[in-house]
Amino acid sequence: MAALVLPAALLVFTLLVAPMALLARISLNHYSPTELMVEAFTAENYIRAVADPYYQQVLATTLGVAFLCTVLTVLLGFPAAYWLARMESNRKSIATILTLLPLLVGNVVRSAGWMALLGNEGGINAALRALHLTSGPLQLLYTPGAVIVGITAVVLPYMVLTLAAVIESIPRQAEEAAANLGATASTVFRRVVLPLSLPGVAAGSVLVFILCMNAYATPLLLGGPQFKMMAPAVYDQFVRGNNWPFGAALAFILLVATLVLTVIGSMALSRRYRG
Amino acid sequence: MAESRGMFFKSAVVASYALMLAPVVMVIIISFFRQEIISFPPEGLTMQWYVNAWERREFARGFVTSLQVAAIATAIGVPLGTAAAYALARAKLPGREAISTLLLGPLAVPGVVAGTALYMFYLRAETWLDQDITATLSGLVAAHVLLTIPWTVRLVTASLQGMDRSAEEAAANLGARPPTVFMRVTLPMLRPGVVAAALFSFIQSFENLELTLLLVGPGRTTLPVAMLSYLEFRMDPTLAAVATVQILLVTAMMLITDRFVRLSRVI
Repeated sequence: MAALVLPAALLVFTLLVAPMALLARISLNHYSPTELMVEAFTAENYIRAVADPYYQQVLATTLGVAFLCTVLTVLLGFPAAYWLARMESNRKSIATILTLLPLLVGNVVRSAGWMALLGNEGGINAALRALHLTSGPLQLLYTPGAVIVGITAVVLPYMVLTLAAVIESIPRQAEEAAANLGATASTVFRRVVLPLSLPGVAAGSVLVFILCMNAYATPLLLGGPQFKMMAPAVYDQFVRGNNWPFGAALAFILLVATLVLTVIGSMALSRRYRG
Repeated sequence: MAESRGMFFKSAVVASYALMLAPVVMVIIISFFRQEIISFPPEGLTMQWYVNAWERREFARGFVTSLQVAAIATAIGVPLGTAAAYALARAKLPGREAISTLLLGPLAVPGVVAGTALYMFYLRAETWLDQDITATLSGLVAAHVLLTIPWTVRLVTASLQGMDRSAEEAAANLGARPPTVFMRVTLPMLRPGVVAAALFSFIQSFENLELTLLLVGPGRTTLPVAMLSYLEFRMDPTLAAVATVQILLVTAMMLITDRFVRLSRVI
């Protein structure tokens, strides 16, 4: 019976682990404009990526956007998750579908929606003009703000669903008992609901942060040509640049930066949770 | 004071759902606008863009390719993932934790990293095998099977954990051999989990972008990649019509899944 695990394990090993080992090896190769990739064992791609001000800026932008979006997602997602978790069961099914639907239709479709909303002739500018709040169109699309709104919207369902699962496991009686003993709504929230849902906040933030760091379609479509995040920069090296060793090094820098910050973040959160 | 806090809570809930749903709703609305350049209010409503979208070959072929890839990848990945989940739950496996981490790996590795790694791997394998892999149906299917495994393992494991084992034991006591027990007792009881896994796998494959992006080629593009290349130049009602078809397909599949398993319980 144990052999039943083999086909799936072999498949994941061949199509994920082996390719990543190969990518790691390629990141140590040398690139020459005439011969493209030359077999070597050098850290030059990593050094170039870390030293180049352009890529420093790209990484800084990516980190900034990921932090901001994660914080926004927690602040917006918590009330939504609480609302979803404490809902009556027959309406809850519909609300869950409405939370899952945007997640499952894909990033490209949602980016298209934001383009239609944020464009100069788009929904938001048309509404502002109809209300006589603005005279000319506001530049909303192709701005960093558009990317932040777009990514926050993309990752929000993950946070809401993760938090809702944790909040659901908090017995209502705990809240009711605190309220009966005279705690105000905000005290119940601060002293009962929030401490008990911190593991969910940690898990949700980690998941969302990883997704933000690696966002591809949203920054590409909503950010405009000047705005660069890491994931599109990695693909550029493979599609346009043909500099595979450098692209591979960028991919690993992105992976390591994501992992290190995720580990630090969840350690800090879990320490607070225990204390 | 309590009043204003309640208001804050309600507005955060409304803002969250507006952010999540507004772009989806907007795409559907735009797809019926008569004018080609998006502007409000609409000059009239039409279904013309759906015809247009179907007549654009990249969308029609992308749609068919995406359906094919998702269907084949699901048909391969769900049985493999179900078998693996069953073995993980029931067999005495050395290194169970490590295997489980490996199988959930495709969910944890960012799509950009996995996508570029797979592209390099395919190019290398093409040289070894002297055969095309990128831009072929089998190359795409293999990549997408990778997406279906972690979802299947996760959903089927959840059903296995919630399952009452006494029926299996009764069948075994009555003389049924292990394969018979699995086919006649375990598998029927796992049906909701397997159906959910199949539908989720299909959707994950159908909408995947990052893993697919470098593996497509001229004449063989998936729908999300075709939409992305189009959107890099413009957003118009034709694209909105294509996106609306994808939204309808995903909604239909979710509603079917919800009949088998309560979605609010499996995610």
